[in-house]
Amino acid sequence: MMRKFALALSICLPAVVSAQDRGQVLADVTEEHILPRFSELSEATFVLSATAKADCTPESSELRAAYHAAFDKWISASHLRFGPSEVDDRAFAQAFWPDTKGFTAKALSGLIASEDTAVETPELFAETSIAGRGFFALEQMMFEPQFSDQGTEVYRCALIRAITTDINSNANAMSEEWKVYAPSLSQPGADSPYRSDDEALQELYKSLVTGLEFTAQTRLGRPMGTFDRPRPKRAEARRSGRSLRHVELSLIALRDLATHLSANHPEISADLNRALEKAILRAQSLDDPTLDGVSSPQGRLRIEALQQSVEDARQIAATRLGPTLGISAGFNSLDGD
Amino acid sequence: MKDLPPMTRLIATTSALTLCAVSAVAAPAKTDVLTTYANIAEAKYQDSLIAAQTLQSAVNALIANPSDATLNTARAVWIAARVPYQQTEVYRFGNAIVDDWEGKVNAWPLDEGLIDYVDAAYGGPSDENELAALNVIANPSFTLSGETIDASEITPELLAETLHEADGIEANVATGYHAIEFLLWGQDLNGHDAGAGDRPWTDYAQGDDCTGGHCDRRGQYLSAATDLLVSDLEWMATQWAEGGDARVALTENEAAGVGAILTGMGSLSYGEQAGERMRLGLMLNDPEEEHDCFSDNTHNSHYYDGLGIQNVYLGSYTRIDGTPISGASLSDLVTATDPALDAEMKVKLANTMQALGLIKSTAEAGFAYDQMLERGNEGGEALIMGGVNGLVDQTKTIERIVTTLELDQISIEGSDSLDNPNAVFQ
Repeated sequence: MMRKFALALSICLPAVVSAQDRGQVLADVTEEHILPRFSELSEATFVLSATAKADCTPESSELRAAYHAAFDKWISASHLRFGPSEVDDRAFAQAFWPDTKGFTAKALSGLIASEDTAVETPELFAETSIAGRGFFALEQMMFEPQFSDQGTEVYRCALIRAITTDINSNANAMSEEWKVYAPSLSQPGADSPYRSDDEALQELYKSLVTGLEFTAQTRLGRPMGTFDRPRPKRAEARRSGRSLRHVELSLIALRDLATHLSANHPEISADLNRALEKAILRAQSLDDPTLDGVSSPQGRLRIEALQQSVEDARQIAATRLGPTLGISAGFNSLDGD
Repeated sequence: MKDLPPMTRLIATTSALTLCAVSAVAAPAKTDVLTTYANIAEAKYQDSLIAAQTLQSAVNALIANPSDATLNTARAVWIAARVPYQQTEVYRFGNAIVDDWEGKVNAWPLDEGLIDYVDAAYGGPSDENELAALNVIANPSFTLSGETIDASEITPELLAETLHEADGIEANVATGYHAIEFLLWGQDLNGHDAGAGDRPWTDYAQGDDCTGGHCDRRGQYLSAATDLLVSDLEWMATQWAEGGDARVALTENEAAGVGAILTGMGSLSYGEQAGERMRLGLMLNDPEEEHDCFSDNTHNSHYYDGLGIQNVYLGSYTRIDGTPISGASLSDLVTATDPALDAEMKVKLANTMQALGLIKSTAEAGFAYDQMLERGNEGGEALIMGGVNGLVDQTKTIERIVTTLELDQISIEGSDSLDNPNAVFQ
């Protein structure tokens, strides 16, 4: 009996002890990390859709600048894939990637070939395949030669405007709903999807670990392929030269999240920060925007080093931060094959 | 702990006592729970093997005597063979030995143009896959990564060692249930309308009756792929027998073994079934993004995946000949610690089965799964999302069980998860 009692104590104590600190961490993450990102995304995508209304020419420098600025904001928020980001397939519709079977090109060709009238009504456009919506569809319409002369210029213009309007309304919906959802994350309990601080913290911790895994294994791993068979065409957003930029932006966003989550554990915080800093510096000094270097032995070596440093940071999060917080990574969308 | 006022510590102690007070039901030994889990695995793989042997006889009959009747029989036994196999999928993600192997038998989605003729709308080689339209049945010789391959005879070795995942592309699926499915049904060209693939039996006819060309090679392919399926399932059933590698690995560390059960349940529920297989197809509105797309059997594929998750938790499986297999279960283990959590898990698993059952019954009544995927089809969307929501919801409870049974940090101790970035409890 005595042993059982001691065991029960060890189960219950850690959660109770840091409840107050956890509440603060949750409040700070929500206020300082989550809400600002979605509100900035909403603003940048408004500019994008307004710019496309004024000039839908794919080569327009204003449109390209607005595209890059808005895409930056999405990548900086895209690791937060839960709650309002998941409702109505919003995150998927903002960015469908990786696209292993070429669904985006197929969806766009389909819309253009049939001159689908869904582009005239935002509600109808929002019903179409996620592969023909969002930033990656817009990228193909603006940067992929195969779409520069498909169908009529009038229809292509309408499609670009429909995509940007949809991106903006999607971003607005996320931003508005995140404001409503935020209290359930910062104040878990019976009325929240999270029963306890632990469950809310687990959601955020999961975002950190999954985000690092996605950058290492998917953003970098997919174009790397194998040594004998590199796959440069698989690099994310390579058509607009953004592949490496996404690695850097995601790491900067994840460093901010890691700093918040490790706030009460200075030693782990310092180590995590150091590891992420190293990864960010490696990304910044790479000078290979589309990760084309995967095909040459020299370039590959440097991309491998970058991938390793992201992996190192993930290891610290998984083996030290998680256990210290007393939470596991749970299940994530990368679990399947 | 040191920063806390004494009162808080007292509350903590009280709640710990409360926690222990409910532990009235005796917990089963973890080793017994693992034995039941392994026994069910063995039974499911044996059932899958038996069903695949029936398929093998039917395929041999089709090749020897091609006709509408022999083709339809082969299709019917393929559908039956999926029933036990889909229920094994819950063993995949938790057991490395299964996960490393399963790509041979159930890989999906596939670029079927690798295997046989396809409709013109399918297209040719793609950015991602140069071999997407290789058509090995029509080509006794072809080039692969600069090497000339002699495919004059289509053997199990050619399929397993050369063609399967050729060029490192996962969509190059040359073996397993879905390759066989394609050879029995052909492409489903009905789009969002009802109806499965409609390959004529004459694709296997000899001489002048042969349609689609190269009927002898098609028969060779079908026979080789079915033989491989049988031998692969035989191997896996052996791994779960007494002293088999899968069973031994599972029981090496009891806590890790229980963790493996939950990893399998959670990963299949969430990332794989709710995400990759159900929600993605819906979001893409693509009729071919369904798991058993040639045969239009997807509603069953989803249903039996869900059933496998449920029967592993409950520790009770009924074999294809009606023999019951049951014993100490994960459910018993959870009940002993937290009966309310066990009740929550049972309710959620039942909710999922009801939602998956609704998809199945509606499909059987004539509203095909590919119709459900159509853009703007609200009824179809509600049906599929019902299943997705059930699976997502049950994953949350699976996570709670991991926490309650204190299995959180298990995989950090084991080496598998660190080697495998897709493992769950990193």
